[in-house]
Amino acid sequence: MSLGPLQILGELWALATPLMLFHALWATFVGTMVGMLPGLTATMGIALLTGLTFGMEPRYAIIILLCTYVGAITGGSRSAVLLNIPGTPANAAACLDGFPLSQRGLAGPAIGLSATSSFIGTVFGILCLASFTPLLGRLALQFQSWEYFWLAVFGIVVCGNLTAPTDPLKGWIAGFAGLLLSLVGQENIAGYARFTFGFDEMRGGFSLIPVLVGLYGMAEVLAVMREQTLPEIARQVGRVLPRFREVLAHWKTTIRSGLVGVTVGVIPGVGEDVASWVSYDLAKRASKHPEEFGKGSREGLLAAETGDNACIGGAIIPVLALAVPGSAPAAVLLGAMWLHGVRPGPLLMIEFPSYVYEVSAMLILAACASFFISLVGVRWQVKVLAIPRPIMMPIVFTLCVIGAYAINVRIFDLWVMFAFGLVGYAMRCYNYPAAPVVLGVILGDLLDVNLRRALIRTDGDITPFFTRPISVVLVAVTLVVIASRVPACRRAAARLVRQLRPTPP
Amino acid sequence: MPRHLQDWPAYAGPGMVTGLLGVVLLGMAAGLGVRALRRPGAGVTLPLADARRYLADPRTRRLALMAGLSLAYLVSLGRGWPYQVTTGAFLIAAMLLFNAARWWVVLLVSVATAAVIAAVFNRLFLVPLP
Repeated sequence: MSLGPLQILGELWALATPLMLFHALWATFVGTMVGMLPGLTATMGIALLTGLTFGMEPRYAIIILLCTYVGAITGGSRSAVLLNIPGTPANAAACLDGFPLSQRGLAGPAIGLSATSSFIGTVFGILCLASFTPLLGRLALQFQSWEYFWLAVFGIVVCGNLTAPTDPLKGWIAGFAGLLLSLVGQENIAGYARFTFGFDEMRGGFSLIPVLVGLYGMAEVLAVMREQTLPEIARQVGRVLPRFREVLAHWKTTIRSGLVGVTVGVIPGVGEDVASWVSYDLAKRASKHPEEFGKGSREGLLAAETGDNACIGGAIIPVLALAVPGSAPAAVLLGAMWLHGVRPGPLLMIEFPSYVYEVSAMLILAACASFFISLVGVRWQVKVLAIPRPIMMPIVFTLCVIGAYAINVRIFDLWVMFAFGLVGYAMRCYNYPAAPVVLGVILGDLLDVNLRRALIRTDGDITPFFTRPISVVLVAVTLVVIASRVPACRRAAARLVRQLRPTPP
Repeated sequence: MPRHLQDWPAYAGPGMVTGLLGVVLLGMAAGLGVRALRRPGAGVTLPLADARRYLADPRTRRLALMAGLSLAYLVSLGRGWPYQVTTGAFLIAAMLLFNAARWWVVLLVSVATAAVIAAVFNRLFLVPLP
């Protein structure tokens, strides 16, 4: 008998072995360090540890990666508060109020508040993960080739739109380029080799992990090593444990940010950074003291950190239900699950429905470990931030190399990583987001196989793409997203609204 | 389903999606191009002085140095030299060239890092080293 989300308790009991707890603690610690150090992102941390956990039993490997994910997103607020540099892109909004607080000698309370709101946000995301994944999974069972094709297009369009807010065209170009890159190698219907240029190594296509490590890891190493200076750290830490009253006072902001985080997380490929900014923005609009935002508002810090951590659970919902990642770190997690023989997607809900609750229980362990690590030993964790970047980054590069190599044990992957590293660096310089490329590489095969399979099934007739109910919804949302960013469409919509509005007598 | 690829209808062929994506990318690239040309003062110019300034910028040199060192490290891997030696040499070169710390600190950190990475991946996780 299925107990629904209550099954998490049973799974927690099953996970509470000394070895599992040990893995949870060290992985969260590593994740916190990765998140803390500017230049090392959650995506990169998970990608590096995927190589390290390659030979492990799947459940140990998955808990290590989940703990790294939660630890990195939580730990990233450390450098945001102390250095005014977000440890991961997800913590950029935390800088706005975290750093002013630390400048006022309140670094400890700021770290404590961010750790507490991160914990609450993660737990909120987990509850949504356990409650909504089975529902989405049941809906996904009705998906056929037509819907999968539109899901891939929808994911790329929405991800490009949200990760390049100033110029969505660049986001869409990145996403479609990622789709095209994923088609290199033998295709899955006839086994025909595309774009291999006679190189046998290219027949297997580009593996996800080397692409990710290159785009995020090596590009970051190059970007950090290019700069010469490192800002000073606020060394006064003070009291870390937050007051219960202080957290409870902003319960509305907490719930709103949690909901925003989960919703943004469910959208394919968007991720924690967008969740954090949207939560922060909405908190500012709804606050009784918006003038304090950006000057050390505790409510602002709480909103940003609750939003990005709630996004973790949200981003794993489509991973488990649809095999489509909700964020860049979730994309690596999906790749790691495939590597370890776990097959997420609609069939997971039929073949192994309790897996959702097992992952939820693992995330609860991760949230508890992260909360514990965040509140103890802050003073010496801060010392890690003082390691000079010219020492740290070459070491990170060697980890990128071994991480990219360990997955398939082939030198070709190192060149893939290097090439994508240079491309990723150039993309940063010209404001092209990397997340749509990663999502494109993941969704390319889904789009290719399902479009052709659908056309074969209908003998070339494209009508079902526009007439099946779920397809119609996906097409409509995709078109609205595109139209909302085209100036001519926006002007036309505004004109239409003006015309429809009743004119005053 | 036809046995030979040439008998397949065009809509099911392996080049269909790649072709579609190519057209979409071409359209978006044209959009970028048109937008750039419509901006005030648009034109394809690269003043020599700007290029010289960029090349003389210390940050450009640091970037080129790191990219060059990374390339040299990757070229050296998989050629039969021990992983610990190539990794240690890369770390020493990178840290010394970027003035990371005193020479003995660099030596200590590099040797320890190369040894630990090799031990963890090779002995603990049984991954063959490049």
